[in-house]
Amino acid sequence: MTRHELTRFPLIKALLKNRWPQLAVYAALLAGFIFAIFAGFVGSPVGNHNFSIVFVWIAWWAMLILAAVPFFGRGWCAVCPIPLPGEWLQRGAILELAPTGKGVSLGRRWPNPLRNIWMQNISFTLVALFSSVILTMPLITAVVLSAMFFLAIGSSMVFERRAFCRYLCPVGGFIGLYSQIAPLELRVKTTRACASCKEKPCYHGSEAGYGCPWQVFPGGLQKNSYCGLCMECLRTCPVDNIAVNLRPFSSDLATPTKRLDEAFKAFIMVGAALIYAGVLLGPWGALKDAAYRIGSGVWFAYVGVFLSVLFVLMPSLYALAVKAGMLLAKTSSAVRPAFAAMSAALVPLGLMFWVAFSLGFVFTNATYILAALSDPLGWGWNLFGTANIPWQPLFTGLLAPLQTLVLIAGMLWSAETAQKVASAAGVRPLPVIIYCLLATLVMLGLLL
Amino acid sequence: MKSAMIFRLLMLAGGLALALLPSFAQAAPPVERVFRIEASSFAYKPGQIQLNLGDRVTLELVSMDVVHGLYLDGYDLSLTADPGQTARLTFVADRAGSFRFRCNVTCGAMHPFMIGKLTVGPNHSFTLAAGLTISAIAIFLLIHPRRASQ
Amino acid sequence: MKREILARILLLALCLVVVLIPLALRDRSLTLRARMPEDDGWSPQVIQAAAGQPLRLRLTSEDVTHGFAVGQMEMASVDVLPGVVSEVTLLFDEPGIYTFFCTRWCGLNHWRMRGTIEVSGGDAPALADAPLYVALGLDIDAPHPVPGVPSQIPSAARGGQLAEIVSLAEFSTPEYYRAHSPYQVYQDLVSTNLNAAERWDVVSYLWRSQTTAEGLAEGARLYAQNCAACHGETGGGDGVFADQLAASGQSSSQTMHGSMSARTPADFTDAQNMLGASPALLQGKLMRGGMGTGMPMWGVIFTEEQSWNIIAFLYSFQFQYQGVTR
Repeated sequence: MTRHELTRFPLIKALLKNRWPQLAVYAALLAGFIFAIFAGFVGSPVGNHNFSIVFVWIAWWAMLILAAVPFFGRGWCAVCPIPLPGEWLQRGAILELAPTGKGVSLGRRWPNPLRNIWMQNISFTLVALFSSVILTMPLITAVVLSAMFFLAIGSSMVFERRAFCRYLCPVGGFIGLYSQIAPLELRVKTTRACASCKEKPCYHGSEAGYGCPWQVFPGGLQKNSYCGLCMECLRTCPVDNIAVNLRPFSSDLATPTKRLDEAFKAFIMVGAALIYAGVLLGPWGALKDAAYRIGSGVWFAYVGVFLSVLFVLMPSLYALAVKAGMLLAKTSSAVRPAFAAMSAALVPLGLMFWVAFSLGFVFTNATYILAALSDPLGWGWNLFGTANIPWQPLFTGLLAPLQTLVLIAGMLWSAETAQKVASAAGVRPLPVIIYCLLATLVMLGLLL
Repeated sequence: MKSAMIFRLLMLAGGLALALLPSFAQAAPPVERVFRIEASSFAYKPGQIQLNLGDRVTLELVSMDVVHGLYLDGYDLSLTADPGQTARLTFVADRAGSFRFRCNVTCGAMHPFMIGKLTVGPNHSFTLAAGLTISAIAIFLLIHPRRASQ
Repeated sequence: MKREILARILLLALCLVVVLIPLALRDRSLTLRARMPEDDGWSPQVIQAAAGQPLRLRLTSEDVTHGFAVGQMEMASVDVLPGVVSEVTLLFDEPGIYTFFCTRWCGLNHWRMRGTIEVSGGDAPALADAPLYVALGLDIDAPHPVPGVPSQIPSAARGGQLAEIVSLAEFSTPEYYRAHSPYQVYQDLVSTNLNAAERWDVVSYLWRSQTTAEGLAEGARLYAQNCAACHGETGGGDGVFADQLAASGQSSSQTMHGSMSARTPADFTDAQNMLGASPALLQGKLMRGGMGTGMPMWGVIFTEEQSWNIIAFLYSFQFQYQGVTR
C-alpha cells in the first residue's frame, strides 16, 4: 500500500509543529463554542433562528460527517476546543511548555474497568435518545454543550491527560470508529527507532512538548481510533520519527478489532442511523411524537425499541450471520472473536448511512445557515444582509440520486471489507454481505 | 461453485429487473384526485400519498392547531394554511418517484422534521436504488468470487 | 513566558468578546414576545403609552406563527414570526385602554392571547353607548328557535323582484333590520299577502339590502380569520377545533357538576336557530362572548361596523345572495 508522507513538506511540518496555528484555530473555535452556549441560553428559543442549533446541528454536523470524518478522521478532535480549558488548568499553560507540576490536576489514572469505549457508547446512546429535543431546542443544546464543557474540565482536574476525549465524549467514540476509514494517519516512520528509544518522550513528555494527551504510544499505533492528531508527538520525538501520511481509504480495517466495545459502537451507529432515518425524516407522525414527548409512555416505548434495535436485534442478527459464515467455512472456533472482527464491515456501511441521512436534512435546511449568520440570536440583527433569506430546500432533485450513490458505495465498501477480514476471522463473508445488503435496502426504503 | 455462480447471476438479473422494470409498468390512466391533508404539530395526516403519473391532483391543506405549511420537494410547490382557512393547490403529477413534503412555516421544536411523503407511480426512487444496489453487489461478487468463497 | 501571557490574554479576550459585544449591542427597546397561550401568551401583557406619541414595538414569536393587531383600530395585522423580529409603530390619538390581540390561530386557546395598552394623557373619552341588545332588553342566552323554516333557500334575487310590487318601506330601515329576527319579519310580512316562500325570499332580499358586496367581503374575511376555526369554513359548527372544544367542555362540565354548557360552536347553517336570531342578538353574542362556552368576547376587538359586516355574512349561510351584485 502506498503512503505519502505529508510531513515531508517543510511548510506542512512547520505548521503542524508550531503551537501558534493550532492555538489560533482552538481559540476561534472556543469562542464559537462559547457563543453557541451563550446563544442557546439567551438567544431566541426558536431553533432554526438560533446559532446554537443552526451552527452546531446543521453547519458543524455537515462539516463533521460529510468532510472531516471521512477525509481527516480525527481531524476535528485535533482542533476541538472542548478540552482546551481543562488542559490549560492541567498543564498550567496553553502555549508554552510549563514545568511539570505547575498544573492543578490530581492526575489520577483512569480506572481500569473503564479503559474502553463503553462509556462513549452509553453517552452517545443517551444523546441519541434525547435527540428530538437536543437537535431542536437551543436551551437543551446549550445545556448539553455546557455539560460536555464542564465534564471535560472536571475530568482534566481529576484524571491525567484527556480522559474526557478518550473515554467519555459522545462524539469522540464514533469519530474514532470512522477515523479508521480516513485516508489520513499519524504513524511512526520506523518502529525500530521507537524500540531503541529509551525515554519515550512522546508518551511521557519532554522539554519539547507534552506526553500524548490521548494516552497512546505512537510507536505502537496500528489504527487511527485513539490518535487525536494533536501533533504533540511530532513536537516531542527526539529522532523525528513521526509522520503524517496520506494513505488509501479504510486501511485500518485490514486489522479488525477484537474488542466488543468497538464492535458495539459499529452497531450503535448503524442502528441509530436507521432509526433516525425512519423517525426524523420519515412520514410517520406517531414516531416523531413518541420521540418528542420525553417522559411519556410512548417515549419509554420508543426508548425500549431504540435500545432493543441497537443492542439486541442488530447485533444478534449479525451474530447469526457470522455463525452462518462459520458454518459455511466449516470453522468451529468461538463466535465472539469472529463477531468482533467482522464488525469491521459495518464501519464503512455505518459511515455511509450517516452521510446519506445527513444529506437528507443538511441540504434541506442549509438556508438557515445564511439567515443565522446575519441574525445568530434571533434578535432582529442583519449583520451581513442575509437575515431575511427565506427557507428553501436546496438540490431536492439531487438528493435521492446522491443518497442512492452513497448507500451503494457504502454497501460495496462494506462487502469488500467483509471479504478482506473474513479469512483471518475464519468465516465466509457471504452471510455478512447479505446482512449489509438488507440493512442498505431498509435504509433506502426509509430515505426514499 | 457452479451454484454460487448461478446465484450471483440470478441476483444480478433480479436487481436489474427491479431497477428497470417498473419504468415499463403499465401506468394507470391519469385521473383527478383531491387529497385532504390535516396538519398538526408535527405530522401530516395522511403522511403518505400515492398517485399515478399524470394525475391532476388537488391538495387541501387543513391546519388543525397552528399555522402550518407544505413544501413539496421536486415540484418546488408550497402552501400555507391557517386553522379555519383551508389552502388548496392543484398540479399535474408529471414527475415520477417519491418526494418528501415538509412544513415550511416554523411550527415548534420538531418543525424541521414535520415531513410527509408523496409517491407518484410505483416508487421509482426506491426500486431503482434497490435494484442498482442488488445489481452492484452481484457484480461485485462476480468480480471477486475467490475472495468471497475463501 | 511573554508569549504565553499574550496567548492567554488573546484567548480570554476572544471568549469574552463574543459574549459581551452581543450583550452591548442588544436592542433594549420594548420587545413584545409571543408564545402560545398555554405558555403565557404575550409578554409583557400590559404596555404603557402616551396619547399623541408614537409607540415603537419590536415583535417576535418564541414558538409558532402569531399575529399582532390592536382592537378597534384601523391597522393591518402584523405577522409575528418565530425567531424573527418585526417592528411596528403605533400612534394613539385618544387616551384609554386598548386591547391588542393575536391575529393568527395558534391553538384552541388562541383567542385568550390578548393584552392591553394603557394610553395616558388627559381624560379618557366618554364610554361608548351600551350595545344594542342591552337597549332592546334582549336575553341573548335564551334559546330562540323558530316554529317553521323555509322549504327552500330564500333567494334575495327573487325577493328583489317581489320588492318592486309590494311596499317594504317600514321593513327597510337599519333599525328595524337590527331589532328583528328573519322569522319576525317573515311574520310581519303576512300583511303583504305573499305566500310563505315569497315572504322568505323578501326577507332574504331585505337582509341583503342592509349590507353591500364590500361589507359581505369584509365579513367573510373576518369570519375566515377569526371564526372559521371553530364554527367551520362553511358555517356548520364543525371547524377544526370543534372536537377539541367539545372535549374541553366535557372535562370542565364534569369538574363543575354539569353547570357548564356544552362547548359546541354554533351551527350557522341551522335554520331553526339562525332565523330566530336578530342581528342585535347575534351582535350581543359576538361582542359579549359566550361566558364560558368557549366563544370569545369580541367587543374590544371589532369595531361596530366590522361586527355588522360579520353578522351580515353569517346570514349568508341561510340566504341565497347570488344574483345581487350591489
